Amino acid sequence: MNEEALITDAQGGDLDAFNTLVLHYQDTVFNAALRIMGDEFFAADAAQEAFISAFKAIKSFRGGSFKGWLMRIVTNACYDELRRKKRRPTTPLEPETEDGEEMSSPRWLADPSMTPSQQAEADELEHAIQHCIENLPLEFKTVVVMTDLQGLNYAEVASAVSVPLGTVKSRLARARLRLRECLRSFEELLPASYRLEDGMNAS
Amino acid sequence: MKRRDTELLSAYLDGELKPSDSTKLEARLKTDPELASVLNDIRATRALLRKLPSRKAPRNFTLTRKMVGQNPPLPRTYPIFRLATVVATLLFFFTIGINSFGTQMASQNTAFGIGGSGGGGDSESLAADSQVMESAPAEPAAPAPAEEPAAEPEAYADTYEAPPTDLAAPTDDMLRIMETPSSKNGEAENAVEAEQVQARQEAPRIVSSSWQVVLAIVALLSALLMGLMRQLSARRWK
Repeated sequence: MNEEALITDAQGGDLDAFNTLVLHYQDTVFNAALRIMGDEFFAADAAQEAFISAFKAIKSFRGGSFKGWLMRIVTNACYDELRRKKRRPTTPLEPETEDGEEMSSPRWLADPSMTPSQQAEADELEHAIQHCIENLPLEFKTVVVMTDLQGLNYAEVASAVSVPLGTVKSRLARARLRLRECLRSFEELLPASYRLEDGMNAS
Repeated sequence: MKRRDTELLSAYLDGELKPSDSTKLEARLKTDPELASVLNDIRATRALLRKLPSRKAPRNFTLTRKMVGQNPPLPRTYPIFRLATVVATLLFFFTIGINSFGTQMASQNTAFGIGGSGGGGDSESLAADSQVMESAPAEPAAPAPAEEPAAEPEAYADTYEAPPTDLAAPTDDMLRIMETPSSKNGEAENAVEAEQVQARQEAPRIVSSSWQVVLAIVALLSALLMGLMRQLSARRWK
């Protein structure tokens, strides 16, 4: 796939050229949206909106990382979708306490009634990680998703979320620390090679 | 653990530290087990995140032309037909307007006696007015305030010179109308009305009706061709 040629054609209004790019990047964009939104349906909506916005704005693309540029658009689409979600709240998937309040750190994955043997190990791990990502503040979540899940470098992330490089560095470090704390509660799900060390009271 | 150290460790794992900073950090890691332990934890967390399986998109997100508001490409001649339709339609209505205006003007001229044989009546009545005004100051019963305004028409009558042409001379018809007793007023009105109708009928059309037909045909044909072009383009696009 000659990405540059396709981008040039798409900038000239060639929708077929743009759709070739869509087919190439749709999994990446959907995964980024899924990790930020935490919901497959909302993520699909955000991904579709992101591609529509990308086509409309493709003339403004001035070279560089096309993936990074797409990530910026999908991040904005996710923020918009989250704002819409806030205005039209849906039934939360998180369990509630006896008082009817949403649990701040639900342990449904570690529920004794759902033994790890009942679910595939990979699924459990994925759920655990997704749960921890969802508990992060939005700005931390975005940086983690872009760096660790989408493999963008700091400069690309800084450009995508329009913040200085130092802010990306700081947010990423703090996000990883929070994730480490969260994942510690799912220690039994983690593969032996990924077990976090005990005695991290120093931090 | 200082926040600065966490940032250094995180950036070190991502290879985003300057070589000099990396060297310094590596030296610290050798002597600081706590720092090394945090590094391992961040490394494990980072590895777990990267291990997350990539999900396949639930559907294709390819865009349709409708989604992006693209219209089918129209032939290059399309704007010419569009212009022809607009111009022909505007001209058509303009000619209708201008013709009706011409007819209206012609009937108004007849009603006010402007132009044609009606002109004589005007100058005659004006002359009669001036005669009345001349005699006005001679009347003894006339009230004093009325005398002052009479001076002006007098001056007007002095300066007024009846046109030397035959306009000043009343035609037989006009004299008959002016001298007609009140019982004959109905006939006179009918005569004026008939004259107006005749004038309206005889009023020259500024734009001939054949031109109007041509303009209407051009407008309709262009509009039809435009519709045809749109349909063909949409069909070809699909």
